[in-house]
Amino acid sequence: MDNYLLLARSVTYAQRMHKVLDRAGIRCQIFRAPRTLTDMGCAYAVYVAGEDLTAVMNVLHRSSLTPVKLFFNHQGTYQEVSYDLP
Amino acid sequence: MIYLDSAATTFQKPPSVRAAMQQALTAMSSPGRGSYPAAAKAAEVAFACRSELAELFHLDNPEQVVFTMNATHALNIAIKSLVPKGGRVVISGYEHNAVTRPLTSLEAECIVAAAPLFRPEAVVEAFSACITPGIDAVICNHVSNVFGFIQPVEAIAALCRERGVPFIIDASQSAGILPLDMRALGAAFIAMPGHKGLYGPQGTGVLLCAEGQETKPLLEGGTGSYSVQQEMPDFLPDRLEAGTHNMPGISGLLAGVRYVRQRGVGTIFRRERELAFTMSKELHKSDGVQVFSLPDMRAQAGVLSVIPKGKDVESFGAELEKHGIAVRAGIHCAPLAHRSAGTLETGTLRFSFSDFNTPEEVWHTLRVLKRRLP
Repeated sequence: MDNYLLLARSVTYAQRMHKVLDRAGIRCQIFRAPRTLTDMGCAYAVYVAGEDLTAVMNVLHRSSLTPVKLFFNHQGTYQEVSYDLP
Repeated sequence: MIYLDSAATTFQKPPSVRAAMQQALTAMSSPGRGSYPAAAKAAEVAFACRSELAELFHLDNPEQVVFTMNATHALNIAIKSLVPKGGRVVISGYEHNAVTRPLTSLEAECIVAAAPLFRPEAVVEAFSACITPGIDAVICNHVSNVFGFIQPVEAIAALCRERGVPFIIDASQSAGILPLDMRALGAAFIAMPGHKGLYGPQGTGVLLCAEGQETKPLLEGGTGSYSVQQEMPDFLPDRLEAGTHNMPGISGLLAGVRYVRQRGVGTIFRRERELAFTMSKELHKSDGVQVFSLPDMRAQAGVLSVIPKGKDVESFGAELEKHGIAVRAGIHCAPLAHRSAGTLETGTLRFSFSDFNTPEEVWHTLRVLKRRLP
């Protein structure tokens, strides 16, 4: 299933994103980010379902949280994407 | 044993603390080191602990809560982040060696805002006179570890905000006992132990950092983040948390913080102060002992120092030990506080209470004590 990966600068930042999304009723999970997605080394990411992206970005924006990068994941192939809030 | 040395460490802990520590040993590895269940559980507990501490001390962001080994470690980070070598610092007359020794090693010029015990208004006046242009930081403990003197950190914080000087609060004796509002105080840092009023285990401490506050790591090493980069990350808490976390400690600290929040800071303060007040009131009736408290224990928490007349405090403390009463005698790692109070030559015998002490313990201690007073 297609989903989005929100790259976080640290596990604590990923947990902050997870917490606000969870409180907003949006399902998400924290995992280690694939090594190929970051040139900085170890990182964590929050995975969200593709259809939730707009809601996710709105909730994060309201909490002043910003992922380092955003990737679209289609069957294990990641593509960096940008997202502009409406 | 009757344990009356909680200003050093609260010895009796809520049972949930031990259970949490045991759980950490069996179910947790390290946060930030993987997504497997043991690492995820550790990360979950560390984040929960940061979040509960952020709520207790009124921080918006749990990333500003940094785990340390103890309050001394936290104070060292705070001081070395703000004070350059040879810098100028204003401190109260009741600071601990955890403050004065790092300042000495930095060859800092320490300006002591001198004021008598239990006179908060005099403390504010002294700080007001000492905080002049060119001061790198102001440092003050919330409660003196020797005398239990509650210092007016709110008023000192207001002075610091007004004059644009960063403020470090040593909350070693007040965290979990008195309210502390990081947001309202506008302090640069608040340092505290986990093993005293927060009822966590020894080996835990916390540094609360203001949002956007520049920090200087004491240690460099692995953080589980930005691993390719050879400089420490520029974001908290990773910047100040190199190396593997003390998960049994953090897990126990979380249980301790939950206990404090459930009991209520005000409830714990009133209980400890009531016990100290009983002891103070009874000892004031005796001519054989000098008691460091005002009759109404104004501006004082549940820490009481005394000097038995004509007795050596260390020997007197050892005598109490023989009767199963654990107290602290001597200088309490705070020579400056003793110099300010005029007790450096003798030291004091210190009774300090926790939420687990009882009035019966106080009355028993008083009986033992009075039999040995001149």
